[in-house]
Amino acid sequence: MRTRSTPKQNHLLAALPAADLLRLAPQLEPVPLPLGAVIYESGGEQDYVYFPASGIVSLLYVMNDGAAAEIAVVGNEGMVGISLFMGGGTTPSRAVVQSVGRAYRLDAAQIKREFARGGALQRLLLRYTQALITQMTQTAVCNRHHQLEQQLCRWLLLSLDRLPSSELVMTQQLIANMLGVRREGVTEAAGKLQADGLISYRRGRISVLDRAKLEQRVCECYGVVKRESDRLLASHAVIAA
Amino acid sequence: MAPIANSLLAALPRKDYQRMLSGLVPVDLGFGDVLYEPGKPIRDVYFPSQSLVSLLTLVEGHLALEVGLVGRDGMVGIPLALGIDASPVRALVQGGGPALRMNAARFRRELRRSPALQRELNRYVHTLMAQISQTAGCNRFHVVQARLARWLLMTRDRLRSGEFRMTHQFLSHMLGVRRVGVTEAASALQRRKLIEYSRGNIRILDNRGLEDAACSCYEGIKPS
Repeated sequence: MRTRSTPKQNHLLAALPAADLLRLAPQLEPVPLPLGAVIYESGGEQDYVYFPASGIVSLLYVMNDGAAAEIAVVGNEGMVGISLFMGGGTTPSRAVVQSVGRAYRLDAAQIKREFARGGALQRLLLRYTQALITQMTQTAVCNRHHQLEQQLCRWLLLSLDRLPSSELVMTQQLIANMLGVRREGVTEAAGKLQADGLISYRRGRISVLDRAKLEQRVCECYGVVKRESDRLLASHAVIAA
Repeated sequence: MAPIANSLLAALPRKDYQRMLSGLVPVDLGFGDVLYEPGKPIRDVYFPSQSLVSLLTLVEGHLALEVGLVGRDGMVGIPLALGIDASPVRALVQGGGPALRMNAARFRRELRRSPALQRELNRYVHTLMAQISQTAGCNRFHVVQARLARWLLMTRDRLRSGEFRMTHQFLSHMLGVRRVGVTEAASALQRRKLIEYSRGNIRILDNRGLEDAACSCYEGIKPS
């Protein structure tokens, strides 16, 4: 199934003043985001930034011994590759497609040039950076203080918010990799959610049956990230800034 | 003219720094002072020179975890540089000492005038993000003793001193573990003769040994 996408499906691009988007449009290259594709590797150079129109990209922190844990997820509300314009060079994180979709990419030289112009694009990307920091911060604290079941609820809700349906294509092993825990832990937590009728899980597909209950069960971290992100990226706030 | 202690300010073109000077007020930050509360407007930014400020996230209204440590390598008040007026974290002074303070209005004005300032701050934000993501990963995988060792080294690097004040209660917030966990880890490091700890004073006795005891995360975020 292939649906047509437009740059405006990405909320950051949609929030740009018409003139800015018009200038950018010819340089935006539509690309697929295939499941499992590594968009950039920890410590590597990045050649492009990506604005997802659909799908989810997971940012993972990679330890020296290869173990990894998710620090943020990015969907059509955001972009991947902020290192390029923040001037930090390489990052200690890996970006992997967690749910298939499409994105618009812009090459390194162009995003740097656009960012250096200042104006609405720069303001928008800096605000997005703050939203991403909030998400990373909350993930760190959630990893430290909350039960795996709550973390799984948070992860499911953050994913759902970025998907068009209430079904995720995802194995328990992949979720365990994302959360940086053992698979048995995820199996147990998912089993409990299934027994309580919140989700159904079979053959690598998770369907959310009762979103309201999932929201009751999740720790505060989900709400903090969502509210902060909505607030920071409300388009009127950006343009008025 | 005396060398500029804060490395962010030191990296600016001389004329930008000169212009900022009249807005930079020398202050002495006291141990335990709270510079920002979560959700509250940021009135001033701070460039530490000999002081150290912890950025702490709260959950359920309690102090929960340190997500960033700002010393002479950075600035406290990063949201302002990103166009946001409120702080999402509590900023708590954990190493008392001098810093330069600038009020928010003046800072915004300087930011508009100086692309170099924005550029240096963006670069710093990027390193801070690396620190945050490392904290997330480190918390997930590493034991308290290795994290405590890492944290002591990060503090040493930013204060440029191997001796500082620190209570168990404070460390427990920093590391997001219970006090008893901190006590165990600190005693273990003391038994290994890597640190000396008494009455809230910590002294690093063996730098190399402590570096070996720290988790691998330490290497990645040593300030230059």
